[in-house]
Amino acid sequence: MTRGRAAVVLAITAFVLVLALAFRFDPHDLRSNAVGRPAPAFALTRLDGTGTVALRELAGKAVVLNFFASWCIPCVQEHPVLVSAWERYWTADVVFVGVLYQDDPANGREFTRRLGGTWPTAADDGGRTALSYGVFGIPETFFIGADGVVKGRHIGPLDDATLTAAIEVIRPRTPR
Amino acid sequence: MSRIGIIAALGVLALALAFSARSGPETAAERVDRISADLRCPVCQGLSARDSPSETARDMRNMVALRVAAGATDDAIRDEFRAAYGDWVMLQPPLLAPTGLVWLAPLVLVGGGLAWALRYARQASPVAPALVSDDAAVATLRERVATAEAEDR
Repeated sequence: MTRGRAAVVLAITAFVLVLALAFRFDPHDLRSNAVGRPAPAFALTRLDGTGTVALRELAGKAVVLNFFASWCIPCVQEHPVLVSAWERYWTADVVFVGVLYQDDPANGREFTRRLGGTWPTAADDGGRTALSYGVFGIPETFFIGADGVVKGRHIGPLDDATLTAAIEVIRPRTPR
Repeated sequence: MSRIGIIAALGVLALALAFSARSGPETAAERVDRISADLRCPVCQGLSARDSPSETARDMRNMVALRVAAGATDDAIRDEFRAAYGDWVMLQPPLLAPTGLVWLAPLVLVGGGLAWALRYARQASPVAPALVSDDAAVATLRERVATAEAEDR
């Protein structure tokens, strides 16, 4: 094979490789840059008025950080799954935190009163916590390990298997 | 008024206009607008945080305004959004991002193809026939011509 032909073959191969790499990603696959990095800090006012919930107070625990709103139908569908997992894991150093997103705190309180769930819920402060995590749309859930690093993220309503698998990844390995 | 005087007066007028038209220092609101125009609204189709009417875009503008008020640099504000959303959040991603390869690859291919075609064309161009300079060949030819002439006689 001449050098010219070899160069052409090499160029075409490189081009196809670049396209394959580029199109491997779905442009609608909205990936967060937060995964694999230390979880952005937050300190938010609880919906029940009992103070604040701050990430630094949860150090050493696995955190399931769920962004939700009362106007979000998939959040309503997802909520029983969260309640079920919370009842199974709340003694295992796994903490759930709900962050009310672009919603009125009164609506958030009514949401949790109606659908259950006793984990701390707080109102986002002008959407700043959601922006710091790279939230695209709710429901959206981040899984933070006991080391404070974001281990995973799920966009859309969680099902029981997905939530359980994600919690098993982040929960501290201590006897339950 | 002489011609030189008119030209000088026009020059002074142009300078005065340019001086009065120059923009003043950028206000905080203008800076928020400029930075927000570079940021992609995550819940919109190709709209910037400045142009989108969505609540998320409004939150982004408010966050930019907070950072501007706190004295953060443009790069620091952009980096904060990029830390959360990646380069995707920039309406004009950095040229060195992997996606830039998709844009650069066709240019490289076209350039390489042109270079190859030029080289091929040069090699394929007709070559002038070599002049006969070999003495033995000339002698053979002369002999054949002489033989032919002798036969004609």
